[in-house]
Amino acid sequence: MNRVITINLNGNAYQLEESGYEALRAYLDHAARRLEGNPDKDEIIADIEQAIAEKFRAVLGVNKTVVITREVTEVIGAMGPVEDSSTEGKSVEATGQPQATGAKASERSNTTGAAENGPQGVRRLYRIYPEGAMLSGVCNGLAGYLNVDATLIRVGFVLLTLLWGLGVLLYLLMVVIVPIAVTPAEKSAAAGAAATAQEFIRRAKAGYYGMKTFHDKHAHREWKRKFKQEMRGWKHNFQREMYEGTYNWRQHWAPQSGQPHPKFWVGMGFTLMILKWVRLLFLFLGIYAVYSLATKGGVFGVLLPAGIPLWVGIVAIIVIYQLLTLPLKALQFSCYYHGMPPHACAPWLAGPFAGLIWLGFLVAVIWLADHYVPQIHEALKQLPPLLHQAVDAVQRWLERT
Amino acid sequence: MSINEKFSSIRKGLLEFLVLKIISADHVYAADILRELNATDFATQEGTLYPLLSKLRREELVDYEWKESEAGPPRKYYKLTAKGKEQLRETLDYWQKISSTVKSLGQK
Repeated sequence: MNRVITINLNGNAYQLEESGYEALRAYLDHAARRLEGNPDKDEIIADIEQAIAEKFRAVLGVNKTVVITREVTEVIGAMGPVEDSSTEGKSVEATGQPQATGAKASERSNTTGAAENGPQGVRRLYRIYPEGAMLSGVCNGLAGYLNVDATLIRVGFVLLTLLWGLGVLLYLLMVVIVPIAVTPAEKSAAAGAAATAQEFIRRAKAGYYGMKTFHDKHAHREWKRKFKQEMRGWKHNFQREMYEGTYNWRQHWAPQSGQPHPKFWVGMGFTLMILKWVRLLFLFLGIYAVYSLATKGGVFGVLLPAGIPLWVGIVAIIVIYQLLTLPLKALQFSCYYHGMPPHACAPWLAGPFAGLIWLGFLVAVIWLADHYVPQIHEALKQLPPLLHQAVDAVQRWLERT
Repeated sequence: MSINEKFSSIRKGLLEFLVLKIISADHVYAADILRELNATDFATQEGTLYPLLSKLRREELVDYEWKESEAGPPRKYYKLTAKGKEQLRETLDYWQKISSTVKSLGQK
């Protein structure tokens, strides 16, 4: 007499003998590890689950409701080992290596992904509270996730706060979004530990091997709603602060004597135009980046490192976008409210001058990145065809509507 | 080393080409691809085929659509994209060239 376990494969229930279940679980776990870093991992796993389900259906009948262990092993044998053809040649056999060290963890951010990050424990971003937390465990959790000292992260947040209070906003956002690690499995995942058995149970609970559609969709929608709300609040606050800031600044610095030089307005108009175009360009790039991250799992040929959930990537893009456009916004606002220091030697030049400095700075950063970061060099080389594709896509869409 | 072993890496390399060729029949189900291949020397398994199909889809050579099946959940049916057809045509041409090279060498 054998115990029977019921599993859900792609929406259908199957009953397996316990040891057959263990074998199937090991096979799917192994497959998931081999596909680590593949942007279509979940889809391939779902395909494989469906193929297994079809094979199970073939051996079951009206009077036979349980798949016995021998049949499970036969099906697994027929499926064959999962080989990722896109990382062929580089792939290392899964070795069951228990834990990633800090150095190994930082390697995970390489672009080719897959191969190197063998079977590490699934790392997840949680707030770690109250163990070692100062306020709410955000920095503590990030430190565990990134494998660096929590103090460094805290200093980072304080420094970010100097930038229009960005650190505080980001912190509050994370308090709301990032869950606290409660269960032992979550705690070990928060610290990047490989809790293989626990990790599996957590995944099973989270619907990794079935029922994922409802759970995920619902949770996803809820999260999206919250996220949008947060972003709206953030934007509103930011704009109000910006407005008040320039207003106060004007009160202090507004020129006591009459109108600014007429040439001032020409310069302003020109700068504003350039700033607007640059911001628009950033906006398109940002939207494209989020789109390609969501559909292809990577941005400009740089893949999202394995183990980092999609939403973290999207938040990162938004933060980068905000960081890049903050100075632009600030310049635009100061142009609108033309609060020029009265003792500046050539006030009508100040606006365009600041704009040019910003553009120069941007070009310098891109140039440096292009020269010293090979991934960015590759990504920049890919830009023109990508732009063509984007234009084509827009045209096709226009033709359809 | 048997002929079979000597050609294993060549067979592996040709798999993508053959999968494209099978999909060129339009609306092909993954199990049909396997059935067709398994009748030949190029027999392969799901574990290899699914990652390969997802790679081809990422490279925009194939596309799929969901279709209801009489039993069980809807299935994915694959077909070639324009890019995939172009690539298949080029590969076929190249294959012709290789096989005529093989034939013509050493004939003089």
